[in-house]
Amino acid sequence: MRGRRAISGWLVVLVALHACVLFAGFFAPYDPTEQDRGRPYLPPMRLHFLDNRGHFHARPFAYALKLAEGSFDQYEEDTRRALPLKFMVRGANYRLLGLLPSRLHLFGAENERIYLLGSDAYGRDQLSRFLYGGRVSLFAGLLGAGVTVLLGLCVGAAAGYYGGWRDDLLMRLAELFLALPWLYLLFALRAFLPLAVGPLEAFFLIVAVLGAVGWARPARLVRGVVLSAKERDFVRAARGFGATDGYLLRRHILPATSSVLLTQAAILVPQFILAEMTLSFLGLGVPEPVPSWGNLLSSLQQYSVLVSYWWMYLPALIMLPFFLGYLGLGSELQERAEPYKIER
Amino acid sequence: MRYLLRRSAHAAFLLLGVSLLAFAFTVLAPGSYFDEMRLNPQIAPETIVALRSRYELDRPLPVRYVHWVISLAHGDMGFSFAYNTPVAPLLLVRARNTLLLTVTVMLLAWGIALPLGIWSADHLGRLPDRLLSWGTAALLVIPDLVLALGLLVIAVKMGRLPTGGMVSLNFENLSFLGKTRDLLLHMALPVAALVLSVLPLLVRHVRAAVAEVLLAPFLLAAEGHGIPRRTLLYRYALPAAANPLVALFGFSIGTLLSGSLLIEVVMSWPGLGPFLLEAILARDIYVVIGGVLLSTLFLVGGNFLADLLLYWADPRIRTETGA
Amino acid sequence: MKPERANCSSRRIVFLLLFVLAALFTRPTAGSPPQNNSKEELLVLAGEMGHPGGRLVVALRAEPKTLNPLIALDAPSREVIGAMQADLVHINRATQLTEPALAKSWKISPDGLRYTLVLRSGLKFSDGYPLDADDVLFTFRVYLDEKVHAPQRDLLLFDGKPLSLRKTDSQTIVFQLPKPYGVAERMFDGWAILPKHLLEKPYEEGKIAQLGALATRPNEWAGLGPFRLKEYVAGQRLVLERNPYFWKADEKGNRLPYLNELVFLFVPSADAQVLRFQSGETDVISRLGAENFSVLSRQEGNYTMVDAGPGFEYNFLFFNLSDPTEKTPAEIVQRQKWFREAKFRQAVSAAIDREAIVRLVYQGRGAPLWGLVTPGNRRWQDEKLPHPPRSLDRARTLLKEAGFSWTSASDGEITLLDSGGKPVEFSVVTSSSNADRAKMATLIQDDLKQLGMRVAVVPLEFRSLLDRVTQTKEYDACVLGMVSPDADPNVDVNVWLSRGGTHLWNPSQAHPATPWEAEIDRLIDEQMYARTFEQRKKLYDRAQELLREYQPMIFLASPDILTGAKKSVGNFRPAVLEPYVLWNVEQLYLKNDAVNATR
Repeated sequence: MRGRRAISGWLVVLVALHACVLFAGFFAPYDPTEQDRGRPYLPPMRLHFLDNRGHFHARPFAYALKLAEGSFDQYEEDTRRALPLKFMVRGANYRLLGLLPSRLHLFGAENERIYLLGSDAYGRDQLSRFLYGGRVSLFAGLLGAGVTVLLGLCVGAAAGYYGGWRDDLLMRLAELFLALPWLYLLFALRAFLPLAVGPLEAFFLIVAVLGAVGWARPARLVRGVVLSAKERDFVRAARGFGATDGYLLRRHILPATSSVLLTQAAILVPQFILAEMTLSFLGLGVPEPVPSWGNLLSSLQQYSVLVSYWWMYLPALIMLPFFLGYLGLGSELQERAEPYKIER
Repeated sequence: MRYLLRRSAHAAFLLLGVSLLAFAFTVLAPGSYFDEMRLNPQIAPETIVALRSRYELDRPLPVRYVHWVISLAHGDMGFSFAYNTPVAPLLLVRARNTLLLTVTVMLLAWGIALPLGIWSADHLGRLPDRLLSWGTAALLVIPDLVLALGLLVIAVKMGRLPTGGMVSLNFENLSFLGKTRDLLLHMALPVAALVLSVLPLLVRHVRAAVAEVLLAPFLLAAEGHGIPRRTLLYRYALPAAANPLVALFGFSIGTLLSGSLLIEVVMSWPGLGPFLLEAILARDIYVVIGGVLLSTLFLVGGNFLADLLLYWADPRIRTETGA
Repeated sequence: MKPERANCSSRRIVFLLLFVLAALFTRPTAGSPPQNNSKEELLVLAGEMGHPGGRLVVALRAEPKTLNPLIALDAPSREVIGAMQADLVHINRATQLTEPALAKSWKISPDGLRYTLVLRSGLKFSDGYPLDADDVLFTFRVYLDEKVHAPQRDLLLFDGKPLSLRKTDSQTIVFQLPKPYGVAERMFDGWAILPKHLLEKPYEEGKIAQLGALATRPNEWAGLGPFRLKEYVAGQRLVLERNPYFWKADEKGNRLPYLNELVFLFVPSADAQVLRFQSGETDVISRLGAENFSVLSRQEGNYTMVDAGPGFEYNFLFFNLSDPTEKTPAEIVQRQKWFREAKFRQAVSAAIDREAIVRLVYQGRGAPLWGLVTPGNRRWQDEKLPHPPRSLDRARTLLKEAGFSWTSASDGEITLLDSGGKPVEFSVVTSSSNADRAKMATLIQDDLKQLGMRVAVVPLEFRSLLDRVTQTKEYDACVLGMVSPDADPNVDVNVWLSRGGTHLWNPSQAHPATPWEAEIDRLIDEQMYARTFEQRKKLYDRAQELLREYQPMIFLASPDILTGAKKSVGNFRPAVLEPYVLWNVEQLYLKNDAVNATR
C-alpha cells in the first residue's frame, strides 16, 4: 500500500514540475531569447518586503541594479528605484502549449525587467531560459531514453530467451555497436542534413539516433536477467504446461526485467539531457538562441563562469527535483513490479 | 576449450567488423586532416593536393583498407598525419597512462559501490537509503566536467594538490618512495573525479539488484534461521544478485580505455583522452581507428570475463551451456 | 626598404661587435663555448640585464607534432621550433620591423632583384658544428624542392618562378628574385636555417620529411635557436636546454639565453592552463580569453597580467558568393540573389552592433573592426577608413533602395521580404569550438532580427565547417576569424586576390567575378611589386576602401592579446605578434630569489 502512495506522490511532483515547464510561456516572465545588452551576468535581484527606511510593503519589490562605472559585470543596487512585483501582467507574446497566442504572464515588473535568477552572458533572463529550456531537454531526454530502452528490451529479451545462435549474433552485434566511433557517424549525419533543416529538428534527430545506437547496454543487462528468469522453476513449470513463448515472455519474463529497465530509464533521462553538452561541444547540440538545460549547464563548464557567477549554478539546483522525481518514480515502480512481492 | 576457440572467432569477427565500419564512418564524416591548411593563406592549394596524395587520401577506400591491414600486420596500425609517424607507439604509451588511471578508478569505485549499494538495499526506503538516493541523483546531475573543474578549483584554493599532469618536473630525481608519493598526489584529483562520476550508476544498480533478491523466499527463510545479517547480505544475497552486476562489471572493463577521456583533457592527464580528442577533431583518422580498435579489444575482453564469471556464478547457465 | 638603411644597420652592428669583443676579452668566458670564439660575431641585445640559470615552464594547448620546420603546421610545433631555430633576418615582434639575425647585414640592388646577405662569422649550430653559406644554400634548396612539400614553399615563388641563390664566399649569399618584391627583407623571417651536416644524407635519400619526430634523440637534431632538445615525454612535456653556442649576448657580454631550461607542458584545455598558471605550476600564460583574463586579474596572486593591446586577429562575417554548380541546393541559389546585392551586405554591416560585440564577447578588451587591417597593425592601417556607428535607419534605407519591404504579423513581429515577396531567412555557420565567434553570431542574429531577417545560427564542428565553406559550398553565411602572422599585408594576399584559396566568399576564381574584385586584384598585385612603402600603402589603402565599400567580408572585432607572467619572470614584454610571450625567450630570466627556489 505504501508503494502505491509513494508512486502517486512522485507522480504528482513530476506532473506539477512538468506543467511548469509545459506552460513555460505563462510562468516565464520574458521571452527567453530577448537580450538586454546593458546587463550581462546580472546577479539575481533580491525580493524585499522592507525598504531601506524600514517601511513594510505587502507587495514584494526588488531594487533596480545598475552597472558599476567602468566595469563589465559588477552591479550595484539603486535603492532609489524600487521595482514592485506585479502579478498577471501582460508582456511578451507567446503561444500557450504552442497553440494559443497569449500575452499573460504570472509575474513581471513595470518599466524594467526583473531578474529572479539573474541573467546570462547576453543579459537574457535565466528563469525564462530555464523554463523554456526544460521543454527541449525533457523531450530530448524522454525521447532518447525511450528509444534506447525499448530497443534494448526487444533485442535483449530476444537474445536471452531464444539463446543459441540468435543470442550469439545479437550479442556480437551489441559489442559492435558499443565499439563503433559513433561521433563520426553523427558528424556525417549533420553534414548530410541540409542547413535548411531547423537546427532544433536536427538536434532531436541526433538524439533519436543516439538513442537508437545506445541499445546495446540495456540489451546486455536485459539478456542477463532473461537468461536467469527463464530458468526459474515457475517459468519451467509454465512451459511444461504448454505455455506459448508469447505468454511466457509477457507474463513471466518481461516483468522480471522491469527492475533493470526502469533503473536504466531513470538514469538515462538525465544522461540524455546531459549528453547535450557533449553534443554541443561537437556542434551537434541545441543551437543559440534556443534555451535548453544542456546549454544552461554547459556554461558552468567554463572556469570563469564557475568561479565568478554563482547564480549560474541555480538551474542545476532546480533541475535536481526533476531528476529525483524520475529516479524516485523509477525505484517505486520497480518495487511494485517486483514479482516476489505479489507472491508474498 | 571449444568455448575459447569460439570466443576468439567472435572476437576476430568483431574486430573485422569494427575496423571496416570505423573506416567507413571516418570517410563519411566531412573534412579531412589537410583541410585546415586551406585556411592558411600562405599554403598553396597544390601543396594540399600533393600532401593528400602522399598520404593516400585520394585513393579508393578498399585500397586504403588493405594497406592499413598490412600496416597493422607490421605492428604499425597505420600512419598518423599529424605526428608523421606510425600510430601504434603513439597509442600504446598513452594507453598505459590511461589504464593506470582507470584501473585504479574501477577497483575503487566497485570497492565503494558494493558495500554502499548493499547497505542501501538493506535499509530500503528508510532515511539513509533516501539520503543516498538524493546524493547519487545529485551526482548524476552534475556534469563530469563541472565536477572535475570544481575539484580543480578546490585544489588551487588549497594549494596542496597538483592541478594536472602525471608527475612533477623533478620526478626523475626522486627516491622510489618520493616517486610513488608524487604519482599518487597527481592521481588524486582525476581519480576522485572519475570515481564520483561512475559511482552513482554503480550504486544504483547494486542497490536495485540486491533489493530484488532480498525479498526472495530463500533469503527470508535464511533470515528466519537466524543467520547473521552480514553473512546473509554478502554470502547469500550478493551471489544471487550477481547476474546483472557481472554484466555491468564487464562493461566497466570495456570502458577502461574510453571512460576517462574528457576528464583527462581537463586534468591534463597524459592518456588517450587529449590525444584522441585532438585526433577526432583533426581527422587524423588512423589514430582514431587505432583507438577504436584498442578499446574494442578491451570490450571483448570485458565481455569474455563477464561471461566466464556468469558461467561460474550461475549454475543454471552452466548446465545449459554444458549440455 | 632602401639600401641606405642596410648600410646603416651594418655599421651599427660593427660597432656593437667591437663592444662585444671587448667585453669578451675582459671577462673570462661566460658560457664556456669552445676555442676560437674571437671570430664569433655575436649580436648584442639591449634590455634589462638578467641572471643566468633557472627553468621557465610554459603550457602548450596541444602536443607539438614535429620538430621539423619543413613540415610543421600546427601552432604548438611552430612555437617550439621558434625557440630552437633561427632565421637570416628577423622581424622584431615588438617594433614589427626587421633586424639583423644570422645575417649581420643585407643589401638590396637598385633594381630590387638582388639581395646580398652577409652571415655573421664564427656561428655554430647547437651541436657545435659551424654554420656557413652552404647551410643556407642547402636550406633553401630543400624548401624549394617540390617533392618535400614544404607548406611555405609558395612564398618563395614569384609569379610561379622560384627565387634562386648562390654564394659568393663562405659568408655571403646572393638571392636573385625574378621580380622586385615589395616585402623586401621581411621575406627572410621565419625560414629556419637547417644544418646541412645532419640533413643532407636523409634529404638525398628522400627521407627528410620523416626526420624531426618528437622521439628524435637530442644528438640527432640541431638548430641555431636559443634552445636545443633535451627530453620529450609523450603526452606530458618537452624539455629544451640552453644552447651554449647561441649567437646573442646582452650588453655586458653575457651569452644568452639566460635560462637553463625551457619546459613545455602539454595542457590540453584553456581552463586547465589557467588553473595551472594560477597554482604556480607554469610561469607564463598567453592566448587567454577575456573571461579568464579577468578572473586572473581579479584574484591577484603572485603574477602580473598584461593586456598587450589589439592583436592581428580579425573576425568577420561573409556571405556565400561562390558560383553555384549543379549540385548547389536551389534555396542557396535563391538566397545568393540577396547576398550578391551590395546594398544588402551594406545594410547587414550597418545593423551590426560592433560595440556590443567588443563589450559582451571581449569584456571590452578588444577593438571594433571595419576593415581587414587591425588596430594592432600600426603601419598599415588606413586612417581614412570611416567607422560608421551602428544605424538601423541606414540599414533600412539601404534595404528599401534594394527593393526589400516589410510586413508585420498580428503579434507585432516584422518580417523582411525580398522584391519577390519571399521572407528573408538564412543561416550563419560558426565553429562550435570557438566560443567567441559563436557569441558574435548570436549577437548578429539578434541585431538582424530587428531588420526582420530570420537568422539561424548553426554551430558546426570545425572540419565540417571548413568542408562546407571551402569544398561543398553549401552554406549561406559564416562567421570566421583569421590571425595575420605578420604586419606586412602580403601575408594576407590570398584573402584579397580573387584567385586565392582563402578569398573565402568566392575562393580560387579563374577570373574575377566582379569589377571591384578585379580592381582589388590589380591593386594588390601592384603593391606586391611596388618599391616604396608609400607607394604600397597608397595602393593597399585603396584596396581596403574597396573592401569596405562592397562588404564581401563584414568585419566585426579584434581581440586584445592577453597574457600573464609570474612576478619573478624578468624581461617579460609580451608582443601582439606571435609568439606573444616567447618572442624574446633568450632574454627572459628568473629574478634572483626564484632561481634557487625549487618546486
